[in-house]
Amino acid sequence: MGELAWLGRLNVGGLAGVLILAPVLTGLVVFLVRTKWSRKGIVTGTGWILSLGALALFGFGAVRRDTVSFMPPQIPGISWDAVVTGLDLLLIVGFVAIGFLLRRPIVAALAVLQAGLVLWVELSHSVRLEHPPLYVDWLAIIMVMIVSVIGSIVAVYGLPYMKEHEKHLGIPDTASKRPRFFLTILIFLGAMNGLVLSDNLLWLFFFWEVTTLCSFLLIRHDETADAEANAFRALWINMAGGVLFAGGLVVLSHAVGAVSIQRIVESRASVVTNPIALVGLGLLCVAGFTKAAQMPFHSWLLGAMVAPTPVSALLHSSTMVKAGVYLIARLAPAFHDTAMSDMIAVAGGFTFAAAALLAIGQTNAKKVLAYSTISNLGLIIACAGLNSPLSMAAAVMLIIFHAISKALLFMAAGVVEHGIWSRDIEDMQGLVSRMPLTTLTMVIGILSMLLPPFGVLIAKLAAIEASVRMPAALLLLVVGSTLTVMFWTKWTGRLLTADPSVVFPRIEHLHSMYFVPLLMLTIGALGFSLMVVPLLTQLIVPAVAQYYRSVQSDVTTLVQFDNVLGVPWALVFGVLALAVLWPLLYFRGPRTQRTGVYLCGEQVETAATTTFRTAAETAVPVTIRGHYFERAVGETVHARWMMTVSIAALVLMLGAAFLQR
Amino acid sequence: MGILGKARAKSPWILHFDAGACNGCDIEVIACLTPVYDVERFGMMNIGNPKHADILLVTGTCNLRNARVLKNLYAQMPEPKAVVAIGACALSGGVFHECYNVLGGVEGIIPVDVWVPGCAPKPEAIIEGAVMAVQRMQERASGKVQPSEDESEDEHA
Amino acid sequence: MNPIALGALTLVIAPILGGLLMGLDRRITARLQNRLGPPILQPFYDVGKLMGKQPVACNSFQGVAASLYLMTSVLALLMFVLGQDLLVLLFVLALGAVMLILGGFSVKSPYSQLGSQREVLQMLAYEPLLVLMVVGVYLQTGSFSANSVLALDRPLLLTMPIFLVTQTLVIGIKLHKSPFDVSASHHAHQELVRGIYTEFSGLQLALIELAHFYELVLLLGFVWFLWHTNWLVGAALALAAYFSTILMDNVTARMTWRWLVSFMWTWGIGLAVANLAAIYFMLRVPR
Repeated sequence: MGELAWLGRLNVGGLAGVLILAPVLTGLVVFLVRTKWSRKGIVTGTGWILSLGALALFGFGAVRRDTVSFMPPQIPGISWDAVVTGLDLLLIVGFVAIGFLLRRPIVAALAVLQAGLVLWVELSHSVRLEHPPLYVDWLAIIMVMIVSVIGSIVAVYGLPYMKEHEKHLGIPDTASKRPRFFLTILIFLGAMNGLVLSDNLLWLFFFWEVTTLCSFLLIRHDETADAEANAFRALWINMAGGVLFAGGLVVLSHAVGAVSIQRIVESRASVVTNPIALVGLGLLCVAGFTKAAQMPFHSWLLGAMVAPTPVSALLHSSTMVKAGVYLIARLAPAFHDTAMSDMIAVAGGFTFAAAALLAIGQTNAKKVLAYSTISNLGLIIACAGLNSPLSMAAAVMLIIFHAISKALLFMAAGVVEHGIWSRDIEDMQGLVSRMPLTTLTMVIGILSMLLPPFGVLIAKLAAIEASVRMPAALLLLVVGSTLTVMFWTKWTGRLLTADPSVVFPRIEHLHSMYFVPLLMLTIGALGFSLMVVPLLTQLIVPAVAQYYRSVQSDVTTLVQFDNVLGVPWALVFGVLALAVLWPLLYFRGPRTQRTGVYLCGEQVETAATTTFRTAAETAVPVTIRGHYFERAVGETVHARWMMTVSIAALVLMLGAAFLQR
Repeated sequence: MGILGKARAKSPWILHFDAGACNGCDIEVIACLTPVYDVERFGMMNIGNPKHADILLVTGTCNLRNARVLKNLYAQMPEPKAVVAIGACALSGGVFHECYNVLGGVEGIIPVDVWVPGCAPKPEAIIEGAVMAVQRMQERASGKVQPSEDESEDEHA
Repeated sequence: MNPIALGALTLVIAPILGGLLMGLDRRITARLQNRLGPPILQPFYDVGKLMGKQPVACNSFQGVAASLYLMTSVLALLMFVLGQDLLVLLFVLALGAVMLILGGFSVKSPYSQLGSQREVLQMLAYEPLLVLMVVGVYLQTGSFSANSVLALDRPLLLTMPIFLVTQTLVIGIKLHKSPFDVSASHHAHQELVRGIYTEFSGLQLALIELAHFYELVLLLGFVWFLWHTNWLVGAALALAAYFSTILMDNVTARMTWRWLVSFMWTWGIGLAVANLAAIYFMLRVPR
């Protein structure tokens, strides 16, 4: 540790500045210098800068071993607060302009409403400078790592993807929209870093709205009618969330007299007995629900899949939706042990189960992934609502593992899309015979979402254990887990339906900028799961302990994790690896004879084939289709009651603020 | 006969293929499963899947249409395996022998190990035929008799 | 006992016990049908014969699926015997079930595809009940570990009577007994081509059969848990549950998957939740 002590002396303000501003600046360079090589170099370089910056921040945290509130670097004559306020107002003016340009008055109206609420907070209170606006603790470091590393991987993956995408759409290089695309992506990453490092809720609000703007621009990127409509939906839903956020800020600043998350959490004792303050927190949580695409706000994330796949990979894994769950998890200690917290758990659990149910009926791969994201975020929010050290640890673990797996899955889905030009799961039937390498990463990604010994499942176990004290949430988690297994298994089944005529599938050629990101995330999914115990004890438990310390002083002893730590995971991994390997070695070569499928003896020849002769002696190929149970789980079948229940859950959640424990 | 051989002798799973019988033989084959005869006493089970089966029971004549099916089913049965031809039709074509579409008995299509004559044979005879087929299968698996696959292939086709 | 010795003993004894129980099942089924039936050792003969068959496969994933299915069943049983976490155990078991389903899906055969589709639904039907039963255990012991049950001084059945019924249903579904045998039938004479198992043959099928032996012992072990204070009573309960599934198998016909899922999700989960609710109220589980 000795030689790393310099990490503890890092200027954390400067580091935060790099993490937030570097991508913005390099993004501008990409936007202005329009050559292919500069773009490749700069985006990859930014990825390295961000990753190294996140690593440095990690080192800083590891050496300091404590939370740090800090100011951005002092520049004479500049008040950062004024800068953020100014940029915030500029952003709102931008939203108004977008509203007018698109002839969508609602956007302009929401923007004006936000401006009013923000100015109200600004003018009525001078609470801002008494607490440094930025703050770093383990949770923030984990989030920065996720945003910077996974976000960079997705950005690099976007380079070849967007090239092929534009080639497919027939856009000439001269009219390429890629510079703007990467500018938006990089600003997005910077804003996310800012969001997770902010302690001042007004700063957080600014970054929050920047991510809204960026996601709007990215979803709208293709500028088709479909993209325009869905981008608008994402915009207004998230802006409505922003209004709730600003409204919550107004209430909180009046009730608590602070806009610093730390101050609010520290004054928990007065917050939980003050229904008005709780309503303020509740409004912030509902804002988190909109960003995390929870029911009833989930439609924007489903619509967002019209965007190019790197955008989906970014929105679903490391940025945007994670901002919503991050906010709720961050605020959770403030409303620990309240009826509102319990209702948040139920609302999150409901989305977890309901989205998993709807995912069963989807044939569009990206839509299944979208529902899965909604579902998993519901689980994370349920964990935050359960609000115990164990559930919080589960939530943080889910944030990490979900980000890795979901980025991997979206990127693999994008590669597949460029391989077969379809997003339909039915078209992916037998993909293992056509694109074995991509299929392998995809199957690992899927299995890492639902089965032991992978991290998501281990987190789910902790979530179930934590939910035992709340029967309603428990039942929703159990039901949701089962439904989750169902839709993933059905999809994997389609991928693995091998073409019997292909004995040794030809490994497809992948662009290195596809292959390397996929490989990195596959290794990440496997490696982190393998190291789940040290990850838990060294990183996640301290993280929870740190940001939870105002509620429970000694978290480490409360997080027992019997069911995770008691299991010899390495042994389980070893046994399973053995079980996979020996049949691959045994059932091959001349010893095992390849045979065709059973078709009542009517196959056209005895060789591997799936064509059979009918009674009329005509040769007919076997057609196999997956079952999607549309009549039972179609979106339209359940739309109405799910909307009703989820809205009712939110109303009850806010109403629960008035219930005293 | 080691453990494996004993297991093989005790667990012959049967695939029954009706090539083109009048159903007389089929009724007798099914009769073997009934409480009166109960072939499961010998571990025999009627399995409709060549990939699981050890013994193929064929009833009826082979004709132009079903010879290919019979060959396919036989090919999908993993070794060791045995074939029992049941009834006059499966042995020689029986009363259908002279029909324009009939190729004759089973033997010309796939190798046959045991012939069970009769029109229709009694269930006792069928069971005995199956037991003899198990013995043949055993002998072949232990290397005493060479597989007879090539000797009669495509004679009539 | 030394955990390694206990594990090794389980590895040897469990398949023998499971196989004998399966043989007993076939014998009883035959007697119920007024037949003599095969020898009790028949399941072992079947597995032995399958092992000696020529290896045949449609693709290389089938072997992986069968092997993982066996390995997870063994692992789950070992975790059970060694007093490990029951919730982890259930998901290890689910891993095996998913792998078997994927093995069926990996072949482009109408029979095994349909079997796999239906096996997914069977899983949907029984999985929540298993988890809820383990939750019921947690409510009383405060831990998911199997050892915590043994530390309890009263039989679980007194507080979890309904779980004896649901666990019997789960065994019926897991073993593909009528009326729950939608993906494949346990006994070949009830269904010819055999759904999800259609494309597995030889050694692969033998591995799956062997996995069934282990799984049966594990599932009955869960029933035994309901009266752990006296192992004879526990064993009697387990046998009673097993024989009721056999009886059910012989007096009912296969139902549709719609019926299966809706029955288990209304009656099955409803009963389990009712029992859990009773435990909550009786024990006043602290928040």
